[in-house]
Amino acid sequence: MWLEILLTSVLGFAIYWFISRDKEETLPLEDGWWGPGMRPTGREDESIHPFKVETSDEEIHDLHQRIDKFRFTPPLEDSCFHYGFNSNYLKKVISYWRNEFNWKKQVEILNRYPHFKTKIEGLDIHFIHVKPPQLPAGRTPKPLLMVHGWPGSFYEFYKIIPLLTDPKNHGLSDEHVFEVICPSIPGYGFSEASSKKGFNSVATARIFYKLMLRLGFQEFYIQGGDWGALICTNMAQLVPSHVKGLHLNMALVLSNFSTLTLLLGRRFGRFLGYTERDVELLYPVKEKVFYSLMRESGYMHIQCTKPDTVGSALNDSPVGLAAYILEKFSTWTNTEFRYLEDGGLERKFSLDDLLTNVMLYWTTATIVSSQRFYKENLGQGWMTQKHERMKVYVPTGFSAFPSELIHTPEKWVRFKYPKLISYSYMARGGHFAAFEEPELLARDIRKFLSVLEQQ
Amino acid sequence: MWLEILLTSVLGFAIYWFISRDKEETLPLEDGWWGPGTRPTGREDESIHPFKVETSDEEIHDLHQRIDKFRFTPPLEDSCFHYGFNSNYLKKVISYWRNEFNWKKQVEILNRYPHFKTKIEGLDIHFIHVKPPQLPAGRTPKPLLMVHGWPGSFYEFYKIIPLLTDPKNHGLSDEHVFEVICPSIPGYGFSEASSKKGFNSVATARIFYKLMLRLGFQEFYIQGGDWGALICTNMAQLVPSHVKGLHLNMALVLSNFSTLTLLLGRRFGRFLGYTERDVELLYPVKEKVFYSLMRESGYMHIQCTKPDTVGSALNDSPVGLAAYILEKFSTWTNTEFRYLEDGGLERKFSLDDLLTNVMLYWTTATIVSSQRFYKENLGQGWMTQKHERMKVYVPTGFSAFPSELIHTPEKWVRFKYPKLISYSYMARGGHFAAFEEPELLARDIRKFLSVLEQQ
Repeated sequence: MWLEILLTSVLGFAIYWFISRDKEETLPLEDGWWGPGMRPTGREDESIHPFKVETSDEEIHDLHQRIDKFRFTPPLEDSCFHYGFNSNYLKKVISYWRNEFNWKKQVEILNRYPHFKTKIEGLDIHFIHVKPPQLPAGRTPKPLLMVHGWPGSFYEFYKIIPLLTDPKNHGLSDEHVFEVICPSIPGYGFSEASSKKGFNSVATARIFYKLMLRLGFQEFYIQGGDWGALICTNMAQLVPSHVKGLHLNMALVLSNFSTLTLLLGRRFGRFLGYTERDVELLYPVKEKVFYSLMRESGYMHIQCTKPDTVGSALNDSPVGLAAYILEKFSTWTNTEFRYLEDGGLERKFSLDDLLTNVMLYWTTATIVSSQRFYKENLGQGWMTQKHERMKVYVPTGFSAFPSELIHTPEKWVRFKYPKLISYSYMARGGHFAAFEEPELLARDIRKFLSVLEQQ
Repeated sequence: MWLEILLTSVLGFAIYWFISRDKEETLPLEDGWWGPGTRPTGREDESIHPFKVETSDEEIHDLHQRIDKFRFTPPLEDSCFHYGFNSNYLKKVISYWRNEFNWKKQVEILNRYPHFKTKIEGLDIHFIHVKPPQLPAGRTPKPLLMVHGWPGSFYEFYKIIPLLTDPKNHGLSDEHVFEVICPSIPGYGFSEASSKKGFNSVATARIFYKLMLRLGFQEFYIQGGDWGALICTNMAQLVPSHVKGLHLNMALVLSNFSTLTLLLGRRFGRFLGYTERDVELLYPVKEKVFYSLMRESGYMHIQCTKPDTVGSALNDSPVGLAAYILEKFSTWTNTEFRYLEDGGLERKFSLDDLLTNVMLYWTTATIVSSQRFYKENLGQGWMTQKHERMKVYVPTGFSAFPSELIHTPEKWVRFKYPKLISYSYMARGGHFAAFEEPELLARDIRKFLSVLEQQ
């Protein structure tokens, strides 16, 4: 089988190299309209409205009733998290959710940052916009757009925001002070979902670009992981002259060429550009890359093909939704957590934070639309869209978190992002970087800005 | 990419051929115990108890309450069944389920055949056992074990059973009269689920073999599709001297060699052993084999890796469970049904029958255990288990239904089942053969028996 993969990779690379000789550097901007029914004539309302997260006793009561009726299936003996979310531990999470979690208090926490909504391409776009509380005289804050992924939300950024907008009060220098904008991807949380087919990462990127323009920013920085990484990448491909810097904590650059060199990497590592740390994180390849990918991509496969089916149950069962979402916060934070009976879930996150994120999917009933995003982006297959074959030509910074699903070595990142100026092996942390290790990520974003400004 | 697949296939076949020179003809029988905790000392209770399906007002009331609280997500405009089960049509199904479906009446229908339970390898095994109401003097009925799959049940056989046990009253000759045994796979419906990891198709095959012995049959016929086809195949590999004949309506024999010849098949079709009908059903390969497989196997991928996660929501939301299960009864009956707003669901099945099958998963809360079967069988990858590399040496008959997910040509079936004596291109029908086209399947089983008896 490995001989097959080797030859496949050789051929695949040859074909890929041939195809990617397309030297076009920007993605065409185009336009779109995603609201229900026919597009109305006349100008779209471009005003920005303040928004407040709200709840009600009914909402909480309904949640409690559903939790009380949940039917548990005992896990197989000694299965830990190997079959998915262990239902013995799920009982504990649900008990906390039912009896101690205070959604009204969490809503107040959510409202501590200013929320807004504005209509773009027919959809109500939600975002928070946090300005620095203090700034040295004559300085303007650097505008930074941070984009979440699935199954995350804007809430993942709540702990990192103060480190970026108010560094002096958090043990960091005021060399870099940001104003941070965190939108919700349409179909996620408080951003209206598309009614039309075809709403993908490129459309999202274009909408977020229009959002930044509407907020008065001609040039800005962008940061993301998961879908956020792809959306920000697309923004850099659509309007590179507006993107001063692109920072990522994830890059899906697995290509045939990469696979080929991987298989040779252990022996010829340094000769091929892999560092010792790369080798440590990628070998054995069979386990760390191949099996890991196969084992963790079931959700992606079903969401790329039948999002409405699996989504319907998740939108009806809050406990099922919690298990589905929190499984990721366990396994994608550290794959070794599968060997723990509690999935190690509370080692890096508090239940309050985790459940608040789940509530953002539950109370807005957006799990189905969030899953459709997979079909719209990947449903045609891998490497079928223009942007996948194009490189990215803005200054780029990358944080390689060691427990990310698959490690991305510098040479792979540079292949797609030739203007990579900052690459860091992070000390610890997994997929949900901002949520899990806000200080490490904030420091690396600032390091990237420092390198960028020196150029 | 196609060049890659070609070379991959050549290499793959070379490796496969090398591996499969293993000429061992039977699978080792072994033993198992799957109940909770430690295995008790002493002999297992081998008695067979009659069993009746029951329900209660509480059960029905709980179902109605959950249905009433379901939260629908509107489908994307013009999406039909391309994103999974269309929620506009789901509303209609749910309305019928809530207001017209009579579960008490369906339970009476279920009880029209005699049900039993008996303990084997620590698990309570449920089965129905239907004997012929009449028989010509001096004749004994032929024992036939019929095994269901996922997301089906023993109920799929309710319409075909009379054609097999009472042919004279159903327009068929009494040349072949069967007594039919339809068990439930452990973890499905009324058969107890395993508490231990590792409960796979081989364990199921061994248990069903023991069941047949316990019922007094030393030799018998077996029939199956979906998991039933694999379980029956394993039975024929475990105890070939007991299996007089094996009839299948599905065979997963996609191998590298097959893929290779497929790509050449259109031009060299007849030279390679493909008939015109094979070519019609398999070409274009990209669409009929590759994309079809990718598009329809999301459920398999997630169930092979995280059954407890996705299952938890399905066990809490009857509407979600119905959408998840009924999507298969639409798309696997005919892949073209995806282009219909109602998924063509009621063209071949009645809502009463479809919902009765769903109720068997709902009232027994067995969706999670049914999904674990995927991980136990395929979770280690393809072609990793001994039985996958072994051929089958009992007389075999095969019905090729035209709308099955992927068509299996005779040459592929014969490769795995060298004693193939009957292969039929069926006039119409898809994956759920017994449920959808009971008469066609009954006729083909009888045709197989005729060929077999002439030898």
